Parts: sequence; C-alpha cells; structure tokens
Amino acid sequence: METIAVYWESKIKTYGFNKIDNLFLLEFYYPATKTTELGKILSNDNFQDTKTKFIAAQESNNGISLVFCLPEKEGRDFHNSLKKILSLNSYRYLYPVGILFFHGPHFGDRYGIADAAFSSLLEADIKIISSGCSSASVFLVVAEDDLSRAEEVLGKAFDSVQ
Amino acid sequence: MDRLKIGGLKLSVILCQFELKGPDPPQKIVSTVSKALAAEKINIEFLTYHSKKGGDYQISICVTQDKFYSTSNIFQKKGYLPVSWEVRSREKIGMVTIFPYHSALAILGVIMATWGENSIPVYGVATSLSAISFLTDFQAIDKAVEIIQGSFQLPDNHAPLKPELHYYQSTVSKKD
Repeated sequence: METIAVYWESKIKTYGFNKIDNLFLLEFYYPATKTTELGKILSNDNFQDTKTKFIAAQESNNGISLVFCLPEKEGRDFHNSLKKILSLNSYRYLYPVGILFFHGPHFGDRYGIADAAFSSLLEADIKIISSGCSSASVFLVVAEDDLSRAEEVLGKAFDSVQ
Repeated sequence: MDRLKIGGLKLSVILCQFELKGPDPPQKIVSTVSKALAAEKINIEFLTYHSKKGGDYQISICVTQDKFYSTSNIFQKKGYLPVSWEVRSREKIGMVTIFPYHSALAILGVIMATWGENSIPVYGVATSLSAISFLTDFQAIDKAVEIIQGSFQLPDNHAPLKPELHYYQSTVSKKD
C-alpha cells in the first residue's frame, strides 16, 4: 500500500539546540586484530562509571579510529588509564571542546539537514572537530570558544520550534 | 558480572557506506558532498568525521542501498572531491541501534568484544542523546542481534524494531 503525505518546510525545523561545554576529547587508533581486547577493556569494571557525552568510531587502515568526549576530569582519568593499559602509540587529546547537538521533526527521513548544518558553519568559518549523525540527531564537536557562535549560526540556518 | 540492561534494539533497512579519505581538512568536503546529496534528494542515514592530527582525514557516509549508484555518481563527478582524495564503498551494510543506555562506553566495549569474538565487523559507531548505533554487514545482522540478546538484559518479550515504513521523497513539491 502506498500512502502519500505532504510535508513542507521553508526552513528546516529543529526542537532547539543543546550545548555541553568543558569537555575533553580523546582520539586514538587501535588495530583490528586487537579490537576484541579493546572491547573487553572498555567494558570492564574500571570504566563502568565513565560517562561519555559523545562517541564516534570509523574503521580505518585495518583498525578502528575512535573519538570520545567526556567531562574534563573523567576525560583525563580515562586518558591516563588507557595510556597505562593499552600503551597507546597514536592518540591525541583536545581540551576544552564543546558539543552542540540537535534533532527535529522527520530528521532521519529527510535530506538536506547535513547540508544546512555543515555549510552554515563552514561559511561562518567555525571548525568542526568531529561529528556524528545517527538516530535522527546531529552531534557537532567544536572548540569551546566557538560553541556559542556555532549555536547562533545554526539558529539562523534552522527554525527552532519548542 | 551482571549483564547490562538495555531498553531495546532497532535495525535499519539495507544501507551502503562510502568512506572518503584524504589529506585535506574535511569540513569543506563534507559541506560540498552533503549539498550534492541534498540536491539529489538523498538522505544521509549515518555520518561521522573527525579532523585527525597527522595522517589522512576520513569521512564515513551511509545512504540507503537503493541510492548506491546515484551516490557513487556524485562522488565520481569531477570537482566534488580533491584529486588526492579516495573513495571506498561498501554495499549491503546495516545499522543496529541500541537504546536507551546508561553507559555507552560499556555497551561499546561489550559489542566490540562479543562481535569481535564472532568475526562480526564494526564499520562505524556514533552516539546520540539516547542511543548508540553500530554499522556492520547486513547479512551478519541476525547473528549480531542474537549475540546482543545473549550479552545484554533486554525487557521481556522484546523483539528488535524493524523498519516497516519506507519513505520515498518525491521530486515534486506542493504548496497551498
């Protein structure tokens, strides 16, 4: 059965923007042959109370490249623990960063959202450090100094409905 | 150790993945590519990217499998990507979304460990406010779900949510 629905927005609607500041970003690469080992480490009791605000990962060069954003203290503790356990060779951390995230009606079912978000921030010369778009939501990691301006820019690109 | 509690699972339709890799900062490329996809009315189902220090940058984009050829054509068009960038595609993948969660980190760990032990690949991960999504081979999804059901504590009688509605966006816009 086919049902035709008409939905038209002159400007893409969102339910508003959410910000999290004072975050610590840790990024590292881990070889594919050891991802099972990494999984066991991340799921062990040492990290049961570690609350991440954002995670993204991509398969990369026969391994996996992971990004974690956490509150500052938890981020530094997580970083120090992993350095000891995993003897990380290739990693970097950034502090302070912030996250701007949002979702809206029909996000996940329609096109044009990434274009509106990424293009408007590019035009405003705001660098996106990392991003993850899934489950009808958009997460953007930017330098903390850019967080309020990024919200302002996106506020003009999207229509916020409460 | 007690199994972690999760609220449920959601599975995607069949997707395909494009991995764009190159030496230039990716923000302009993501903007150009997402604009080109929007112009063709192609919805991005999943996207991750980050600016790496040293080495190549990588962008991962998933669209529905039926948009594979139109998306490939966009990436092959001259001018969308710098010459130094390469595109690798992967057909017939699926997304498993787990929600809600208390510790995304622990869920990530359990999935990496248990899927890894069963040779189920993880091609990408992204969290949202109340969920964590994993990309893997579509043909491995049933096995992946079985492992999740054995590794986490799910509500009684829970069955994974499968998409029943398919949204197709018309090229015709109507207004009153």
